[in-house]
Amino acid sequence: MPEKAATLHAHLDDFIKDTLSRCTRCGKCFEACPMTRYGDGLSKADPKTVVSGVLDWLQQTPGNEESVQWLKVCTQSSRCIEACPEGINAMKMVRVGQMSAMGSLGLQGAPALSGREAKDFFRVINAFSETQMTPDEMARWQR
Amino acid sequence: MTDKVTFWYGCNVVRHGDIIHSAIALLEAVGIEVTPAGGAGYCCGTAKDGNLRAAEGMGKRTVEKFNEHGTGQVVSWCPSCYRHMNAFMGEYTDTQFQLSHFTQLLHARRDVLAIKLTNRIERKVLLHKHFGFHEVDVNPLVEDLLRLIPGLELVETETTVPGHMCSALSRVPAALKDATRAVCDAANGAKADTVATVFHSCQRLLCALEGSEPFKVVNYVNLLTESMGMTTRDDYKEWKLAGSEEAVVAAVGNERIAAMGEKLFRDSILPELLKQPSK
Repeated sequence: MPEKAATLHAHLDDFIKDTLSRCTRCGKCFEACPMTRYGDGLSKADPKTVVSGVLDWLQQTPGNEESVQWLKVCTQSSRCIEACPEGINAMKMVRVGQMSAMGSLGLQGAPALSGREAKDFFRVINAFSETQMTPDEMARWQR
Repeated sequence: MTDKVTFWYGCNVVRHGDIIHSAIALLEAVGIEVTPAGGAGYCCGTAKDGNLRAAEGMGKRTVEKFNEHGTGQVVSWCPSCYRHMNAFMGEYTDTQFQLSHFTQLLHARRDVLAIKLTNRIERKVLLHKHFGFHEVDVNPLVEDLLRLIPGLELVETETTVPGHMCSALSRVPAALKDATRAVCDAANGAKADTVATVFHSCQRLLCALEGSEPFKVVNYVNLLTESMGMTTRDDYKEWKLAGSEEAVVAAVGNERIAAMGEKLFRDSILPELLKQPSK
């Protein structure tokens, strides 16, 4: 069994290398996606072109506009995983592509996607906790 | 299977203390000693894709805390947390526990649970289903659990919607709208009086449908605990259904608003509570 990566970045590097070595750009992951009708121009997009764009993002190169649209509408429906003939976790491939398009993996320039975290995310979580938990539960369960 | 578990309820579910308390009550009812853990201090980091340094720090911290619990079993409520642990956190941390999902554990002990479900619940229930949580096939597990409740009629439905839960759809508003319309059509077509949600974000985003649709929206764990004789109250739903800004403020109450922080309430929480489902 291979050793675990020491950091998240190291794991993502391993995942990207493995995905790039195995993906044949057949486009079946895109074809299986239930969300393509919600992305601009995706209904008529060539699946191989879209996937090639996602692989560009994995290599820290801005992908084509079709790939950006796909990254935007992914809601983690998992159909792409079942569709991949190479056994690649295509949903994770898209998610890592999103990270790259957000600039999280080091790509310079204006990000093509914004981060998902809502404003005041943790402050809101803590505020609701105050209304739904007793002080004792807060102390024992959430510290 | 161990009798001691860490119950990892997650972050966003804290809007629904009723769900957390019901889930714990159910685990205890089937003989499990529960160490609950959740909130911001146990975040998986899935919302930090735009800041991987923070995501990694959160992931490591949460795994270290779970290791310190020493239960060897972490039972997740939230499908995002489950997914993030499997696909990311567990890949770069030393996880000294097995991960399972709440539905799996409860389903495995359904014979014990069935004995505790003594109160009849006369409802015609449609289960709101997503098809995106590929790691655990939760829908048939939850359907089996609901069938244990005496008096409850479960409507058969083929309606399933994308994503692993409704919050995943909220980034694509048209898709969330379609999914919301689909559950309304399915429930009304079947003349169901209750839509049961599986996950907290579906409860959060669908509960206000009660204001315009002829059915109730209830998380399935609250149906199970109701059959056990436990009373729960979905504050969040009451607040969402209050209507006007003044009514929401009155429903939440000054004491709670002060506990949340007046500015945070006005800036972030009140707009959320006033937002109604689009369908």
